[in-house]
Amino acid sequence: MQASTRKASSAILLSLMLTSTALTACSSSNNETGSPSPSASPSSSASAPASESASPSDSPNAGGSVYPIKTDVMLTRWLDSGAFSQQLAVTPKLEDFPFNKELEARTGIKVKYELPAVNQAKEQLNIMFASGEYTDIIEWNFVTGYPGGPEKAMQDGNILKLNDLIDKYAPNLKAYLAKHPEVDKQIKTDSGAYYGFPFIRGDDYLMTYGGPIIRKDWLDDLGLEVPTTMDEWYTMLKAFKEKKGATAPLTFISTPRLFDDLQQGLFYGAFGIKRDFYMDDGKVKFGPAEPGFKDFLTTMRKWYAEGLIDKDIATVDGKIRDANMTSGKSGATYALAGGGIGKWLTAMKDVDPKYDLVGAPYPVLNEGEVPKFGQKDFAAPQGGNFAISPKSKNPELAVQLLDYGYSEEGSFFFNFGKEGEAHTLVNGYPTYTDPVKENLPLNLGLYTRATGGPFVQDKRYYEQFAALPQQQEAVKTWGQTDVDKHQLPPISPTAEESTEFAKIMNEVNTLVDETTIKIILGTDSMDAYDKFLTKLESLNIDRAIEIYQAALDRYNAR
Amino acid sequence: MRRTIGDRLGDAVIAAILLALVIVSAYPFLYVLLASFSDGNQLLAHSGLLLRSYGFHLDAYETVFRNSAIWKGYLNTITVVAGSLLLNMLVTSMTAYVLSRRRVYWNKAFIFLIVFTMFFNGGLVPFYLVVKGIGLIDSLAALIVPFAVNTFNLIIMRTAFASVPESLEESATIDGANHFTVFWRIILPLSLPVLAVITLYYAVEKWNAWFYASLFLRDRELFPLQLILREILISNSTDSMLGGASVDQAVLVSESLKYATIIVATVPILCLYPFVQKYFVKGVMVGALKG
Amino acid sequence: MLSKLEKRAERTHWGLFLRKDWSRNKLLYAMMLPALAYYLVFQYGPMYGAVIAFKDYSPAEGILGSPWAGLSHFKDFFEGFYFERVFTNTVLISVYTLLFEFPAPIVLALLINEVRSRAFRGFVQSVTYMPYFVSLIVICGIVKDFTNSGGIIQQIVASLGGADTALLQNPDYFRPVYVASEIWQRIGWESIIYIAALSSIDTEQYEAARIDGAGRWRQMRSVTLPGLLPTIMIMFILRMGNLLNVGFEKIILLYNSSIYETADVISSYVYRKGLIEFDWSFSAAVGLFNSVINLALLVLANYLSRRVNQNSLW
Repeated sequence: MQASTRKASSAILLSLMLTSTALTACSSSNNETGSPSPSASPSSSASAPASESASPSDSPNAGGSVYPIKTDVMLTRWLDSGAFSQQLAVTPKLEDFPFNKELEARTGIKVKYELPAVNQAKEQLNIMFASGEYTDIIEWNFVTGYPGGPEKAMQDGNILKLNDLIDKYAPNLKAYLAKHPEVDKQIKTDSGAYYGFPFIRGDDYLMTYGGPIIRKDWLDDLGLEVPTTMDEWYTMLKAFKEKKGATAPLTFISTPRLFDDLQQGLFYGAFGIKRDFYMDDGKVKFGPAEPGFKDFLTTMRKWYAEGLIDKDIATVDGKIRDANMTSGKSGATYALAGGGIGKWLTAMKDVDPKYDLVGAPYPVLNEGEVPKFGQKDFAAPQGGNFAISPKSKNPELAVQLLDYGYSEEGSFFFNFGKEGEAHTLVNGYPTYTDPVKENLPLNLGLYTRATGGPFVQDKRYYEQFAALPQQQEAVKTWGQTDVDKHQLPPISPTAEESTEFAKIMNEVNTLVDETTIKIILGTDSMDAYDKFLTKLESLNIDRAIEIYQAALDRYNAR
Repeated sequence: MRRTIGDRLGDAVIAAILLALVIVSAYPFLYVLLASFSDGNQLLAHSGLLLRSYGFHLDAYETVFRNSAIWKGYLNTITVVAGSLLLNMLVTSMTAYVLSRRRVYWNKAFIFLIVFTMFFNGGLVPFYLVVKGIGLIDSLAALIVPFAVNTFNLIIMRTAFASVPESLEESATIDGANHFTVFWRIILPLSLPVLAVITLYYAVEKWNAWFYASLFLRDRELFPLQLILREILISNSTDSMLGGASVDQAVLVSESLKYATIIVATVPILCLYPFVQKYFVKGVMVGALKG
Repeated sequence: MLSKLEKRAERTHWGLFLRKDWSRNKLLYAMMLPALAYYLVFQYGPMYGAVIAFKDYSPAEGILGSPWAGLSHFKDFFEGFYFERVFTNTVLISVYTLLFEFPAPIVLALLINEVRSRAFRGFVQSVTYMPYFVSLIVICGIVKDFTNSGGIIQQIVASLGGADTALLQNPDYFRPVYVASEIWQRIGWESIIYIAALSSIDTEQYEAARIDGAGRWRQMRSVTLPGLLPTIMIMFILRMGNLLNVGFEKIILLYNSSIYETADVISSYVYRKGLIEFDWSFSAAVGLFNSVINLALLVLANYLSRRVNQNSLW
């Protein structure tokens, strides 16, 4: 019985694949001539309600594969369980998540999930590669999480080069990339190889979610405007200290990585630099090596001496920052819309009804300037993180499964789940249902895959996730920076360069962090700055800049 | 036997020191306990000494126990601990006995080989490959068999066995006992305190183990307690070192959950000690056997 | 020098010796088998992996297939700008821990031993070992509570003229805070083995001493301490074999850039490097370096101990 069924199903599979190939070949040309590509502009998907909420039918998506695909093959899929730990506590098997069940119904492909324990993903992945085990699909950030990067991963034979497969079996992704060349660059290697399907943030609104946060109620009490320049910040912090009794007016996370929360350019940016690498007109620069760093140190040192910065700033971790911001010790910090504004407002709602927060713009030096840096994610923040193993016996099927998320219907489904179950359409706007909203972080992971997956994220998801007006305003404010011009794109040094780079940078980082904090705390005088510059040179920082410049040039040439 | 004034003074001082230590030692656990019953929001704003809980809330515990995996986790851990103890204690004590005997030519070599492994090992991947080669992957046995002996414990036991007076061994041998009898009837009963301690060491080691479980187990049904709890702890910390694209999607759950998790994980093993304690009564065994 | 005949006699003599040893200790060797099997399979089986420190490991080629790197990783490690500092810090923290934290459980065991009320003794034992079980993250959070501005310990130190900001922002305070918290966490747990050893001391010896008129402290000197010595020595030797292993987890939870000069140790430094890019070979090389030194220290401690009081591992 088994053999003949299998033969029959593979026959069907084969013919299906041939058919879909043919269809793809015909209609992909249609796509590229300009009919609105479905997953390109998320806002347009609302105008086609009929197909999104259609029950899994055989309606072909723009371009191609006929979903659900009739197959008996079960694909295996490995992913880091970190993103789902809360959901796993409620529903221990990933296959039982309502979203995954529906996904299987829609795509017709069964998937078995393999999950390492939370936070052990890296070890397990290495072991998996080393022992020759594999799964069809592997979800992992190969840019930062694989020594040598995606190019090396392909060379090592651990993931598959996907150019041909995407060309033939992933019309939806192909169409999207054609419309968005910047995204295309972000997910290719320097040699032009595709190595994985990306998670795409489909709108700028989704890419910013962190920035300076200030006690709005304090500002109101003191009659102060939201500050925009460094001087205004100085005045405000002084007022917080003197009139509001704040013992640590400005606080932010500084451990284990020094000034962790300032990495995105907060305060550094006012002086034209960032804590590490950035670019000015295509030239790679390293913040602490630039003159602006001295000005940054001088200002911060002054603020600390006058008691405007948390006295214990070097020891502040997440727990201490949370406590400071909610107990009145601090009035300003850096945090995220959800994990900061959302968390603290929810916590203080009943305790102190007057408590209010506002997201402030990244401060600049002179009135009217646009902040040079700010927090902003890439459109494909993890590169091509859904990869396929070369050992897979069904790479085409895997590609088709992954491609579903870039179709209009697929993308919408990933963002908002099944209609009626996870969302309803209110005046064309997909609104999460009340039961889902009751515990949005939990349910988003069960009924949708809105927080991350092989699809294009829709901003309407985030509008509801960070639904408080303070959050929405904050995200808009934080997005108004020039960071696009100055942030380094996701470049990749070669494997040898990488090792050299890591060696140099560990020493450089140690030096920079130590010097920074000692000058600011007042332990060392500003004279230490000159010694610092000499030491920085001797640690070969120029070579590191060189390496990054070469990588940047290669990236631009992609 | 009279106790002098000096003795009484000494008693008082000792008691005072110990009491102070008890207070200081109790604090961390007290902190966790109070925090686990506290209202999460108020806990967030708190810093410094915690001497009373913020209200009395059981929702953190509710969340922990609602997770069905916890119960399976308990079961798995207890299975592993029980199985391990059997294997560990048997093998370790036998080996310690052998190594503690004099005039055994190969002992020096054995000890050297064993101690060598405390310092040099092949690393994670080769170890994994060996365990895989034997076919233990994805079974609870993978947490037991590859850890049959803890060299540190072995050495302690050996030292204890070696200090049992030779005369006892000799008189038994004269009476016709072979090595195994000496081991079973003389050495072991005389070493109850050390056996109790090593049992405790192994039990705690296995109870707390999660790392190798995360590597050798694929089936989540087999996950031990600590692994499950670790997942809960990490998923709820916004300052975890995970990072990644979904940074802001970190879960905004009650602070008190972290603490309830710790209580659930440690209270059972803490209860083990009183059982072990009764083997530490002074001189009870030596005297009895002598007579 | 020996004639052929004498050499032959020696060999036969040796062979005879081995045979005698075998016939006398057959059962013992049999009892050794399970452990031997364990060590051979699970410890020596994977041992080939240790060469990874001398290679440029690449997951695809596997350990045996990766290209040789000789001593280059070690060179990188030793030539690092901060090598001396992290090495010194590691050693100093270990030595301070040895000096202050190692004896603490012994003292505690002795004190507990003096308590006559069984209830109080049991109570003290049970409570003092609790901190060992509280997760490190919570312990370090509490340490920071106490040592940050406004915390009890910080206030005491400040009133004595010390730091007026967080103690952990001042390099001079890191080691005391670290060692004190180690004592706090471990004293109860580590005293267990000593308490067990104390209970094995022959009560008759105490009787004899009392009859001789010895008071409490005399008894401690002449009966208790000697009885405890083998355990203390063995624990000391084992501790020496771990001297360079200052675990990174606790350091990372307590340190920050302002106190790198006393707090940054080998393991934390290598950990940071691993965050930029994880290098299996480099990590392994550092680990190997640690191990070699640890082994040397163990051998030294063992030798000294054997010389001084015949307690040793071999």
